[in-house]
Amino acid sequence: MRRATTTEEASRRRLYTLIVITLAALVLAGILVSFTLGRYPIRPHQLLAALGDKSREILSGITNGAVSVSKSELVTEQMRAILFNVRLPRILLACMVGCCLSAAGAAYQGVFQNPMAAPDILGASSGAAAGAALAILMELGSRMVMVFAFAASLITIALVMLVSRTARGNRLLRIILAGIMVSSLCNALTSFIKLVADPNNILPEITYWMMGSLAKTKPGEVLFALVPMTLGIAPLLLLRWRINLLTLSDGEAKTMGVNVGAVRITVIICSTLITAASVSVSGLIGWVGLVVPHLARRLVGNNYRHLLPASMFSGALFLLIVDNVSRNLLLTEIPIGILTSVIGAPFFIWLITRKKETI
Amino acid sequence: MTINVRELSFSYGPRRVLDGVSFDAADGEMLCVLGPNGVGKSTLFNCMLGLSRPESGDIFFDGRPIREFGARELARNIAFVPQSHAPTFNYSVFDMVLMGTTARVGGVSSPGESEVASAEDAMERVGISHLRARGYMQISGGERQLALIARALAQQASVIIMDEPTANLDYGNQLRVLMRVKELSREGFTIIQSTHNPEHAFLFASRVLALIGGRSAALGDPREVVTEELIESLYNVKVKLSTDENGSVRCQPLL
Repeated sequence: MRRATTTEEASRRRLYTLIVITLAALVLAGILVSFTLGRYPIRPHQLLAALGDKSREILSGITNGAVSVSKSELVTEQMRAILFNVRLPRILLACMVGCCLSAAGAAYQGVFQNPMAAPDILGASSGAAAGAALAILMELGSRMVMVFAFAASLITIALVMLVSRTARGNRLLRIILAGIMVSSLCNALTSFIKLVADPNNILPEITYWMMGSLAKTKPGEVLFALVPMTLGIAPLLLLRWRINLLTLSDGEAKTMGVNVGAVRITVIICSTLITAASVSVSGLIGWVGLVVPHLARRLVGNNYRHLLPASMFSGALFLLIVDNVSRNLLLTEIPIGILTSVIGAPFFIWLITRKKETI
Repeated sequence: MTINVRELSFSYGPRRVLDGVSFDAADGEMLCVLGPNGVGKSTLFNCMLGLSRPESGDIFFDGRPIREFGARELARNIAFVPQSHAPTFNYSVFDMVLMGTTARVGGVSSPGESEVASAEDAMERVGISHLRARGYMQISGGERQLALIARALAQQASVIIMDEPTANLDYGNQLRVLMRVKELSREGFTIIQSTHNPEHAFLFASRVLALIGGRSAALGDPREVVTEELIESLYNVKVKLSTDENGSVRCQPLL
């Protein structure tokens, strides 16, 4: 009897692990397929040849020329340039941003004990938008827009935490209220910048940035985002079991041996870091961080042990697919933020009209 | 594990909630704390769980003062069963129980096979193994309370503190939950629980601590210390206590 029951639990855990691995495999498959999608036709065998050449080139670099470099005749130089300088960075960034926004959304939902929490709950996005708008207004160039957005996002959250520290009352409520207040200030600043911006060239650029897009992704942006994203995701993955206990009351979690204050602030800082990194390179892409964690909850349950990895891979897959639609559906590119809203809002309605038990 | 509480006092601002409360509890003891709402039962528990710092006085576990315990070490020795509640997310009953093992896993890891086994074991001991895969929000209030008790068992602490474990439960569930709790005390767990029902103290407690105005008004065997006068001064209600032919005490309100 004992043995049988233990096996039942073990098989459920194996099933969830399998789902996570399947999602990871789907992301890899999605990346390969996405390489071939685009205005410039690249066939699967050409893609494989180009990837083979590239990996030999990298291997040769690592092994100091022990592996010989060769170039397949199936692939033109133009194809290589499109694959590795245009499509590769964009595909990678879509996956990274999708992964991070979903991880941050799932983590925020846990720490704030609120199934409707999203990565912008504390104003990380509003702060980034104000920073980006300011950089665009000063015509500092795309690199500085990214840096300004990232820095402004972090400063905003630092301000939120500072304000919430001095306020009185329930700690979670204090943080959320401070977030609402500070992000509303940021929105006012953004509106003011839009008001004074030149409506012929600056204003459209700000508006376009706010819609969210991965269209002009350069390899540098991928590298820029990679460092904070890694620094943020790693602690979240390590602490993911303990996020479960943060969803209970503070007292309960403490009596089970969790240092609630330390775990909560770590999770908030890490989630903010990855949100800021995402928003600074992609602009405002809404709904991903709310919708994807709920999809993942449906797949593997609420236990963060499986939920967090499942959210990350589903988020990567989701944004990769949406970005493919964004760049291929119409002749002109549709900003990805618009598409995620078009998909996210109906999902949200479906979510809140379902029976309560499933949230 | 023996517990010694010495001259414990605690205030919320100017309001003194606990005023020099002292008592001891030994292995296998089931101590019921009686007292009206707001008398400081929860505050007493919070101090014993390390959630609140007493203003003065001290608490010793096996002779060691509570302040020498780290959070995880305290959790490995003392478990808490809150009143049954509705958490934000609908965890499976098994995951809820498994959370009790957290104090025994490293700071950055998840429960492994031995923790899963102890959670299974705990669920079997309180008789809820069949609820394993159900959602915590889909089971009844009594089953939830049993799940929280299983969680405390999975924590493998020798002391379990329960804050009104039968509040919000129907008559049958109250008795079923208390029977399980009584069994646990027979197995050697030290159990401290608050209750509002004097009859429960007669049925299940080995000792009673009655609090009035933050002070200990009575301490001892329920049959000796729980009198009609004590209940009247605790709850401001006149009652008649009678012992029936089976030796169990009935408490009847005089309305």
